[in-house]
Amino acid sequence: MRSSTTRPPSTAERLLLGAIGLASFLGLWWGMSASGLVAKQFLPTPLDVLARTQYLLTEPFAGATLPEHLARSLERYAYGFLLAAGVGVPLGLLMGWFRWLDAMVTPVFDGLRFIAPIAWVPFAALWFGTGIGGPIMIIFSGAFPPCLINAYRGARFVDAKYIEAARMLGTGSLRTILEVLLPASFPAIVAGLRIGAGLGWQSLVGAELIVASAGVGYMMVQGQSNISTPTVVAGMVAIGLVGLVIDVFLRQIEAFVRHRRGLA
Amino acid sequence: MQTSRDWIGTATVASLLALWAVLTMVTGTIDTLRFPSPVQFWQSLKQIATTGYADGTLLSHSLHSLKLVIMGFTVAAAVGIPLGLLMGWSRRAEALINPVFLLVRPIPPLAWIPLAILWLGLGDAAKIMVIFFAAFVPSVINTFTGVRGIEPNVIEAARMLGTGRWRLAREVLVPAAAPMIFTGLRLSLQASWTTLVAAELVGALAGLGRVLNVAQQDIYPAMVMVGMAAVGAWGWATTRVLAVVEARAMPWLAVRA
Amino acid sequence: MSAIEFDNVGRLFERDGRSFPALDGVDLTVADKEFVALVGPSGCGKTTCLRMAAGFEAPSSGRVLVGGAPVPGPGPDRAVVFQQFALFPWKTVADNVAFGLRNKGMAAPERRDRIAAIIKLMGLDGYETAFPHQLSGGMQQRVAIARAYVLDPQVLLMDEPFGALDAQTRVVMQEELVRIARINPRTVLFITHAVEEAVYLADRVAVMTQRPGRIKEVLDVRAIRAAENWDRHARVEDVMDLESFVHLRTHIWRSLREEKVGGER
Repeated sequence: MRSSTTRPPSTAERLLLGAIGLASFLGLWWGMSASGLVAKQFLPTPLDVLARTQYLLTEPFAGATLPEHLARSLERYAYGFLLAAGVGVPLGLLMGWFRWLDAMVTPVFDGLRFIAPIAWVPFAALWFGTGIGGPIMIIFSGAFPPCLINAYRGARFVDAKYIEAARMLGTGSLRTILEVLLPASFPAIVAGLRIGAGLGWQSLVGAELIVASAGVGYMMVQGQSNISTPTVVAGMVAIGLVGLVIDVFLRQIEAFVRHRRGLA
Repeated sequence: MQTSRDWIGTATVASLLALWAVLTMVTGTIDTLRFPSPVQFWQSLKQIATTGYADGTLLSHSLHSLKLVIMGFTVAAAVGIPLGLLMGWSRRAEALINPVFLLVRPIPPLAWIPLAILWLGLGDAAKIMVIFFAAFVPSVINTFTGVRGIEPNVIEAARMLGTGRWRLAREVLVPAAAPMIFTGLRLSLQASWTTLVAAELVGALAGLGRVLNVAQQDIYPAMVMVGMAAVGAWGWATTRVLAVVEARAMPWLAVRA
Repeated sequence: MSAIEFDNVGRLFERDGRSFPALDGVDLTVADKEFVALVGPSGCGKTTCLRMAAGFEAPSSGRVLVGGAPVPGPGPDRAVVFQQFALFPWKTVADNVAFGLRNKGMAAPERRDRIAAIIKLMGLDGYETAFPHQLSGGMQQRVAIARAYVLDPQVLLMDEPFGALDAQTRVVMQEELVRIARINPRTVLFITHAVEEAVYLADRVAVMTQRPGRIKEVLDVRAIRAAENWDRHARVEDVMDLESFVHLRTHIWRSLREEKVGGER
């Protein structure tokens, strides 16, 4: 009832305003390219993009069809993200539990934190090549920090009363970590995984633009060098859609976890 | 407690540095063609600082990158914060703009790079465009969230006191949302650096990303490392500057400590 | 003249497409310079009454008049003191108090005098440059009252202003409010849960029914206060010990209790 905003519009008005917003965006895009205000070569109409996407679904470009490129991207992504989660979450939990480990890792982590994940590309290419290893490393470097930080914060700031209760019941270290620390910090971990998944997906795109020899990012770079703008935009749409699906999926999980915990 | 923590940290960093030196220079366990030794790093740093590398010195590359980050970041903040304020305050503005935002937002900023190059070439304009797309989103979202999170009582108090629209925005909405606005700016700044480095790696005529790119092609690991260190140092320095600005801008939070 | 009049006021709330009556036919008049306390069971809509007088909400039926005219919207002629203080955390005590005056476009020298006077009156001297969070709850509420009083409003609307304070601070603030109200009488609508507080402070106490809220009865405290000479006691606790006070309080308690038992859905 009370909020910090102006009075909310009715549902009908809301939908109308949203439709106006979307229509003006698409209209502006369409108008600018259809009228020739911007050369079609540089700004294809939404219809051109749709047609191109349809073409790319079946016909190969840059060595593969769009679904094949996507499959390659997703394969790398899955490995990189799982690696980041598999290392980041346990390390974060342990850092939250063992102060000495926290004291050891934090300065190293802080030192590396400000290096953009993408800046690892040259080393990634040098060490693991441009096939699958290099991109995996970049995805890892993008997705790792949120996984680690959230697990760490979740474990470090677990309400002391849970730990004390476990102690009082005579629980050992390992069981306390597994049965108290892990579940207590679970919502924070899931939130970290979601953020990490987003950043990992971003990093994948970056990696594929720079070093890969297949994948959606690679397809886009090829589109760019062939001045095929529809291919580039189709790639953007595909990346956006897949990213959106991943995000929505993980948000559902996060909401479920929070709901189960009575947090939201 | 704090001192023992500092000691462990210092000892860890020192041993890692020592290990690095030993493995690359004494035992040769790490191939210096893949990972440089400390001495190689130092020599490359000296080289790029004095004679230069990839058509410029460390300073000129750094300043070039810094200039682009500042320009893209500033434009993004200058557009993003007011837009976030507007969408946070007016439910109608939110209903109008949010669907477009939802449509464009899932596209990662880095995915704009090929389009930016197609439109604007390999020069500065394309970089500023992608930095803008990267830095814009966190500014808008966090400002929006900040405004929506304001205590309704505080807004009502201002309205009860007969506050006009302009003063309400400047003296109530902005300061009340300031902590979130700065969170957004910090994320924007981080995104600006990431995007710039990626854009320069894809293709650039100058800048730290170009140093990385050329060093990669030359298979010159020590120079790659210098480039990475420079990116990290500038990222750290600009974040510090923002933190100082943040503390200055919100004096009422500083007194709490 | 600045009386507050509730004329057969009803208010509906929409939730999940259904509407619920929160208020149903509220009739109440707060005369000029009169202090009326409104008590009632939780959720009976007493805060809604105050918010309508403030102009934050509009009645669904009936009329809310202030000074004979319908309430146009929030404004500095009807200052509100909130339970949670609602100070601006980024402004110092002096700037919080000055905020409303600046909206009025008052010249700086006059503004300074007014602020200095109210800060002294509220016992806030020495805290002018402090930020709200550096003050105790009681001091914060003093600032909020000063922020309202400094505007010299016709009408003061207080929504459980002492509800967030501890018991001792609350007593001090009640005595302060009585002192200030004597120096500077205003038309006051005062919402509270605390029956003693209502009886101690108010000229009249209005008791509301369970939701949908109506005015159940109005008790005139003035006559009893004058007859029993409550004002010879400076302290709250001494007044509260008087037989006439206890009698009134018990009467209101019974009245409220009937509501809680009888009105349970």
